[in-house]
Amino acid sequence: MYLDPVLMIALPLFAAFLIPPLARISKGLVKYVPVLIIGFNLYETVMLLPHSMVKPVIVIIAAWAPPLGINLTIGPLGNVLALIISLVGFVVAVYNIRFVEEEPNEKYHMLFLLLTAGATGMVLTGDIFNLFVFLEITSISSYALTAFLRDRDGAEAAFKYLLIGSMASTFILLGIALIYATTGTLNMAQIAVRLKDVDPRIAIMALILLITGFGIEAEMFPLNGWAPDAYSQAPTPIGAAFGGIVVKAGVYALARLIYTIFSFQGIFHFILIAGIITLLIAEMSAIRQKQLKRMLAFSSIGQMGLVLIALGLATTRGVEGGLFQMFNHAMIKPLLFLSAGYLVFYSGSKNIEDMDGMGRVKPLLSFFFAFGAFAILGLPPLSGFWSKFIILSETISHGFIAVATLALFGSIIEAVYYLRVVGRLYFKAPHDGAKVQYVPKSALVAMSILALITLVTGLYPDLVMTYLKPAAAELIDKSIYIKAVLSAGL
Amino acid sequence: MRKAIAVLFLGFIGYYLLSTFLLVPFGVVRVLEGVGLKYLQDGLQQTGAANLVTSIVVNYRGFDTLGEVTVLFLAATGMGALLYSKRPTERARQNASVIVKTGARILFPLIIILGAYVFIHGHLTPGGGFQGGAIIASGFLLMFMSYRTYHVNHVILSRVESSAGSVFVIIGLLGLAYGSSFLANILPLGTANTLFSAGVIPLIYVAVGFKVGAELTALLDTMLQTVK
Repeated sequence: MYLDPVLMIALPLFAAFLIPPLARISKGLVKYVPVLIIGFNLYETVMLLPHSMVKPVIVIIAAWAPPLGINLTIGPLGNVLALIISLVGFVVAVYNIRFVEEEPNEKYHMLFLLLTAGATGMVLTGDIFNLFVFLEITSISSYALTAFLRDRDGAEAAFKYLLIGSMASTFILLGIALIYATTGTLNMAQIAVRLKDVDPRIAIMALILLITGFGIEAEMFPLNGWAPDAYSQAPTPIGAAFGGIVVKAGVYALARLIYTIFSFQGIFHFILIAGIITLLIAEMSAIRQKQLKRMLAFSSIGQMGLVLIALGLATTRGVEGGLFQMFNHAMIKPLLFLSAGYLVFYSGSKNIEDMDGMGRVKPLLSFFFAFGAFAILGLPPLSGFWSKFIILSETISHGFIAVATLALFGSIIEAVYYLRVVGRLYFKAPHDGAKVQYVPKSALVAMSILALITLVTGLYPDLVMTYLKPAAAELIDKSIYIKAVLSAGL
Repeated sequence: MRKAIAVLFLGFIGYYLLSTFLLVPFGVVRVLEGVGLKYLQDGLQQTGAANLVTSIVVNYRGFDTLGEVTVLFLAATGMGALLYSKRPTERARQNASVIVKTGARILFPLIIILGAYVFIHGHLTPGGGFQGGAIIASGFLLMFMSYRTYHVNHVILSRVESSAGSVFVIIGLLGLAYGSSFLANILPLGTANTLFSAGVIPLIYVAVGFKVGAELTALLDTMLQTVK
């Protein structure tokens, strides 16, 4: 039994507005608000799954049927991504309970709640301008959270992110303006229908503007300059949220754009090539990093490159693999970030070389990190293996042997730098300066949830694949989406 | 050399963008296709708001407006988090001259009244919550600049902000509870062109006006402060 899905957006906004008065009554209560609200979102997305898998759930807002009003279109794809976002959001919110002691911490929880709400809105909405509004909510909270520690590096990273993010917003807005001027509608399904009558020169320009804008959010090369700094300088849970939430919403927007709205044939090859370049450059940069969190950031970009390759294949199986890779990355990268955050904290240094022997000092934390590293490398039977396997075998069977070879080469580089860190954790003598303290239970619970999901989806990939198949079908056959929306209105 | 290439590149992008935008006929009536026509034909009847722009912003696309209100809220919160300081702060301005001070004292209440007028009549005349709120904040800015010791109570501002934001969501939720969907207009539309018309639209705009006014005022005050 699910409640009206619009509550997944309305309640977080409501809670965020009420956090300042709540903080004045009791500071201690505020940190449980995101856990509660995002927990509700998680419940909703799970309960919606059986319904959206059959037929997209259309939620009308302000009593105006599309295209007059705004609507939420919750198809399999949107639902699965909303589930991923809520799951990561919930885990990070649990981790946050004991992590953020810095003042003004009620603002931290408020910004984090809105970040999750914005990303949820992005994947659920059926209106392109509404997508832009939610993108703004997501990205503005990201800028503020990146600089939350108020140190020099954080401010620099946030400023960089702010500049490039504002560029993205401007491009997207210009693209939307072109689309609205020529089609007279903002409803994504209706745009998809009407776009074929539009002057191709205008349509291509709109596509370029939108791909550039969302490419920045999706960490596509060469638009990802903001990512390494933002990931590594932001508070650890926010780095995890970037990988699991913000980027996922960006990739969703990109996928919706190239598959449902535009679906020009040539664009898929472009995405494929952009993907492989992103993958290679990111992996080669990652191996040269000295700081643990920067290395993870580059690795995250590399993983997104792999997702782009899968999306560029434009085959059902390829897209399934890409979505599975997104799911895995959303579970594993936060696990790596959250454990790395405490490794950095206990070793007292951000550098990889100071992680020596942490496996003996903090066995459980190091285990989580090593587990995440193996999973993301694609060591069978962990979940990363299946998604990489599907994508690569699909790439080869469609004749892109060179792309598959390069992607495998990227995987080897990835193995080198992850195993280097894991090796240091276990096979080197610990430094003297390492602090020995207990990791808060909430953080351990958060990491265990992620590790458990990774393990289970690795052993039983079909559990996830059953839900990803309709999601991929929704992208490949856009008529399902369009028909569902247009039959609700008009 | 690098700069020259950058300028050339920017020029190329600018030219390409401009030439594409010129393909969209400018000044030609294009509302006859798309949703614009429906808004124009039925907007007044369906929403009861004489100001069509308001009916689109607050009713047809009210969900976007809720999002935009949140964006502003986020910007204010983010700014508050980044400029947070434990040390006492003071305003880095000298007192203004007698003329400015006297002028500000006379103008201040008038500016507030104008702002309130603009957001209360948002569904009738050009303007609305965002504009009215900005006018009110500009009144406070005038006071900040004239009187070094003029202070606003941030606790009250934050309370106004929170309650106004919650009122917007509550109106939306009432629409869900008593109407067909979130933000549905559940109040009678009344006679168009009168103050009490258009159902929930004026209520939402009054809330938005309070919220924007309080937010911008707090933002201006925070930005004018420096650490002692």
